[in-house]
Amino acid sequence: MVRAATGTADRARPYPLIRPILRPGLGSCEGCGARHLQERFERALQVCPACGHHGRVPAPVRIEQLADPGTVAPIAAMVPERDPLRFDDGMAYPDRLRAAREATGQSEAMLTARASLGGTTVVIASMEFDFLGGSLGSAAGALFAAGCDLAVAERRALVAVCTSGGARMQEGIAALAQLARCTAAVAAVADAGLPYLAVLADPCFGGVTASFAAQADVILAEPGARIGFAGGRVIEQAARDQLPDGFQKAEFLLSHGMIDAVVSRTELRPILTTLLRAYGGRCARVPA
Amino acid sequence: MTAVSSRDLTEAEDAAFAAVELARHPQRPRALDVIEHLFDDWTELRGDRLYGDDPAMLGGPALLDGRWVMVLAQEKGSDAMSRALRNFGMPHPEGYRKAQRLMRQAERFQLPVLCLVDTPAAHAGVGAEERGQAWAIAETLLVALRLRVPVISTILSEGGSGGALALALADRVLALENAVYTVAPPETCAAILWRDSGQRARAALALRPGVATALALGLVDELIPEPSPGVHAHPTLVMAALRGALVRHLDQLDALGAEPRMSLRRSRYRSAGDPVLN
Repeated sequence: MVRAATGTADRARPYPLIRPILRPGLGSCEGCGARHLQERFERALQVCPACGHHGRVPAPVRIEQLADPGTVAPIAAMVPERDPLRFDDGMAYPDRLRAAREATGQSEAMLTARASLGGTTVVIASMEFDFLGGSLGSAAGALFAAGCDLAVAERRALVAVCTSGGARMQEGIAALAQLARCTAAVAAVADAGLPYLAVLADPCFGGVTASFAAQADVILAEPGARIGFAGGRVIEQAARDQLPDGFQKAEFLLSHGMIDAVVSRTELRPILTTLLRAYGGRCARVPA
Repeated sequence: MTAVSSRDLTEAEDAAFAAVELARHPQRPRALDVIEHLFDDWTELRGDRLYGDDPAMLGGPALLDGRWVMVLAQEKGSDAMSRALRNFGMPHPEGYRKAQRLMRQAERFQLPVLCLVDTPAAHAGVGAEERGQAWAIAETLLVALRLRVPVISTILSEGGSGGALALALADRVLALENAVYTVAPPETCAAILWRDSGQRARAALALRPGVATALALGLVDELIPEPSPGVHAHPTLVMAALRGALVRHLDQLDALGAEPRMSLRRSRYRSAGDPVLN
């Protein structure tokens, strides 16, 4: 579409209206539009060197970023197909799942692995936002719970990276039940005296925040991550409330006492390492 | 895919949304009506001891058939004034923290916890987010899961989102026959899926919001039958049936003992949502 005139909103944009066609290997920051070499961007953990914007990280990459090199062992898990409501929102749910699997290369919105983090063997559960908005359905809930069970069985700490739009609408009430399932799984980890550390990444909303994301012993969040129960758009429409500056951003949650720290991606490993040493007293001593 | 004419589809969507509207019927008994019908010596206790008191969430001890129980209930209100006061049954974090406080008190004084669910969803607003709505719900789930005393929850009319589940993590979940129990109200579901809350009828059809779905998935244990056209036609009859069911389940749960009860509650939710509807 060609625009004859650009309004002030367009002129205020920090990046050109007509985006240059990027050469292969080039990307651009979603925060400031600065172009960067994809390879260098990935080496910088998907953090923009120009503006510090934390780009979205696929679940397996996230685990690699957190783990000590060469220690990641994905936890093999069955992900049975479930379509409790035979849901169709314009595309049948099984087709939507298949498309998400093809697009992401992931079997579900939750990936679990055993890995070493700063020398401590942990169970990592990492969410894939690009898989149906990181939504929590019965398979993702089962995978998270299986990760918790493994942590209890082997006496490992649990580390979860949470990013999600909330419960998966396509599974209806069965998705809501996952909040209870994950709660029961977290309770088992806590009752075993094992630490559970959560990292909240942009965005993290709905049923995930209202269950295991908020139930961790320590909650870290990445700078600028949007976190909450209801999304800002819903709140503006429903309550016609004026949203305060920085509403639902990690820094806002920190100042309201909901999280322990805002931690840039490069600092996650050292902080998690220290916390695992501080709280890992009842974890198994032997590495995996 | 079977061929469905657009008229058939529209009719099915309208029927699905009509079922939601029946569950939202203004004359259905609200939590306070149920409390008045079922319990004696109801004594309301208020406040979360942290920030405020939430009129959308009620709590306090009461007598059911001669035994003390802790009642926790979402109250929607029954006229324009009380609906505004009760925020249409949508609790703020204060409500969930009051519920946690009273759950712990029930534990201390060995009172079974009886929850009455009637909410479209937890409140979505700036204040609710500032005070940690998600954190309040998440903690309520944990507290309810860990209770040593019996927990029975009844979905009265509308159970929506984590805001309902916070009071529905229980040893037994009952529901009035025409109630709905959903992951989100159809309006919100439509807004999420199609960015258009106007498609609520389409969402209502897809969500299968009736409590029969939750019954088939094992998330509700028993439906309390309602005479046609609904509980509001013969509330006394339905209330008597609900009282009978509550007493029967309380007796069963008492007989179980605390440890088996707790482990059964946990294992129930460890496979939650897995059975497949056919």
